[in-house]
Amino acid sequence: MSRQPPLVIDNGTGYTKMGFAGNSEPSFVFPTVIATHQSASSGSASAASSGGRAPPPVAGKPSHLASKRGIEDLDFFIGDEAVANSKTYSLHYPIRHGQIENWDHMERFWEQSIFKYLRAEPEDHYVLLTEPPLNPPENRENTAEIMFESFNVQGLYIAVQAVLALAASWTSSKVAERTLTGVVIDSGDGVTHTIPVAEGYVIGSSIKHIPIAGRDITYFVQQLLRDRGETAAIPPEDQLRVAEKIKEDYTYVCQDIVKEFKKYDADPYKYFARFSGEHSVTGRVSGVPSSSTDLTPSHLLFAHRRAQNKFERFLANRIISVPQKYDLDVGYERFLAPEIFFNPEIYSSDFLTPLPEVVDTVIQTSPIDVRRGLYKNIVLSGGSTMFKDFGKRLQRDVKAIVDGRIAGSEERSGSLMKSSGVEVNVISHKRQRYAVWYGGSLMASTPEFYNVSHSRVDYEEYGPSLVRRFSVFGSAV
Amino acid sequence: MPAYHSAFNGDPSVRQVGNTAVLPINTKIRGPAPIAGDPSIPDIIEESLDLFRANCLFRNFEIKGPADRLLIYLILFISDCLTKLAPTPGKPSPGYQEATKLLSTLAVDTFALPGDAGFPLNSLYHPPASRQDADYFRSYLTQTRSELALRLCDRLYPAEQTLGPDGQPTGQLGPRATKPSKWWMAFQKRR
Ligand SMILES: Nc1ncnc2c1ncn2[C@@H]1O[C@H](COP(=O)(O)OP(=O)(O)OP(=O)(O)O)[C@@H](O)[C@H]1O
Ligand SMILES: [Mg+2]
Repeated sequence: MSRQPPLVIDNGTGYTKMGFAGNSEPSFVFPTVIATHQSASSGSASAASSGGRAPPPVAGKPSHLASKRGIEDLDFFIGDEAVANSKTYSLHYPIRHGQIENWDHMERFWEQSIFKYLRAEPEDHYVLLTEPPLNPPENRENTAEIMFESFNVQGLYIAVQAVLALAASWTSSKVAERTLTGVVIDSGDGVTHTIPVAEGYVIGSSIKHIPIAGRDITYFVQQLLRDRGETAAIPPEDQLRVAEKIKEDYTYVCQDIVKEFKKYDADPYKYFARFSGEHSVTGRVSGVPSSSTDLTPSHLLFAHRRAQNKFERFLANRIISVPQKYDLDVGYERFLAPEIFFNPEIYSSDFLTPLPEVVDTVIQTSPIDVRRGLYKNIVLSGGSTMFKDFGKRLQRDVKAIVDGRIAGSEERSGSLMKSSGVEVNVISHKRQRYAVWYGGSLMASTPEFYNVSHSRVDYEEYGPSLVRRFSVFGSAV
Repeated sequence: MPAYHSAFNGDPSVRQVGNTAVLPINTKIRGPAPIAGDPSIPDIIEESLDLFRANCLFRNFEIKGPADRLLIYLILFISDCLTKLAPTPGKPSPGYQEATKLLSTLAVDTFALPGDAGFPLNSLYHPPASRQDADYFRSYLTQTRSELALRLCDRLYPAEQTLGPDGQPTGQLGPRATKPSKWWMAFQKRR
């Protein structure tokens, strides 16, 4: 029997990355969001969404198997389709701060993402999922229960995101040895994690989370645009999207903000840019997914309601026929946006520690015998590390802190002790954007993957507690 | 507030009034200020203009020396100037000539010195030691504010480059902008 490739699924707070093991990029990237119909019963959803942590599965919990659900339970969208239907459906984000908080929504999200997007039959595949550092074991059990009992997968491996990100960095030419020791800086949409890993094991007590990530940078860009009066030209509902687009397409990390302001003064035509947008009313109307030809019941329902609401349709059609264009200037946000990692004070009043300082503290609080290895391998991962020259600046600033400390202790020792210096390396590489997913793809395409995964047979024998432990991929790749 | 410090903090020979430095400046405006020897080296006015946008972004500032106090004072004055030029309902921002007049008037208008009731940062500034010092300091600041107002207007209303038929700048300078630059005015609301 030839094996189907394992499914690799990285569900992030902001975006889900999914595809097949062995590929270099995920086949699908879309927002981790589900749009449910207001009236649809959401089962245990409300209970699950209120607390910080999801409740463990309870006896008598209604089965969420899709086939056993009522028809109204099929009336939902995920990803971009969910966003497009936000006017008439309510949006839910099943993952908060990296952890699954609403299991009912998450299960339905998986269901549609596997069947409709990947078009895969889960019972024919092994699945690799990712988890944030320090994920509680109950969360793993819940996940295993859904994967094995609802989707009947062949096998399951749940990998720690930071470890996958380390493996992904092996593609960089700067990486001399394939080590699973390093500090991972994983910055996505909601949080930035700084995670030390020694030989594949996360040093949990030294992890630090920074409450600044992609979403904050988008807000900051929006605020700068607003202060300058640029937003007057943008329809209010487009403002965040425009700010995000500017953030993703125009920004870079500078070496010094005062010098950067001067560059813009000296050569405005080189540095200032112009952004052109179009009123996204067209986007609202195309909220009826135009690409899907198969009309699932949810689409039918939606079409039906649209027909009922003739006035709304009339309005929508009116606006679509007059697409409005708008232009705005892009300036200092180009370098100020990512500056909030290095000078959080310019954005936040309660979190003030620069990222390089956090990285240094994380390493300094790790066991002394791994510190050199950690400084030598600081690895970037996630969408919000994609700013041009991010790695360069981080390396310079961490190096400055380390060198300052060495100089200080040499001075205190009366120049008797000469340090040989500490090597500081920040690794950027071309798989950095989806590093966690890519690391998963690498691992799941090795033969060892099947040994470290738990199979359906194991699950049937031992039950969900089986997944409390997974062995680390050591020599795997 | 600011995070970038004055380069003049370290100079021990600098005269102080209270604990604020009185630094040499380059200017044609008459007054008691020491004149900077080398006009190619940026004076404190130039430094304030260069650091204004960056320092407006920061919320905290640790004063590291007497020159930082003068720097902060001038940065706050720049901020007042921008507020003066901001459009209000029914009253658009002035052009260059008008702005120069407005800000030059603002510069010589009555203002508070350290120790006066209206001075914004009294907890950080010592008042002048004597009546004489106070008079001197007032004249010094009047002269410095006036020079700053002129240089600020130059930056707020830059001559725009003329564009060639291809839409690219020709390197020739055209007339001054008719409105104060939004790239500066945006910092009016910060702080
Ligand atoms: N080229 C880019 N430059 C800057 N930011 C980017 C770029 N591309 C994507 N982003 C930002 O990266 C973020 C998404 O990153 P990612 O997919 O790694 O997050 P996530 O895994 O969903 O979240 P988390 O890791 O917090 O759970 C978004 O804020 C997005 O705007
Ligand atoms: Mg992530």
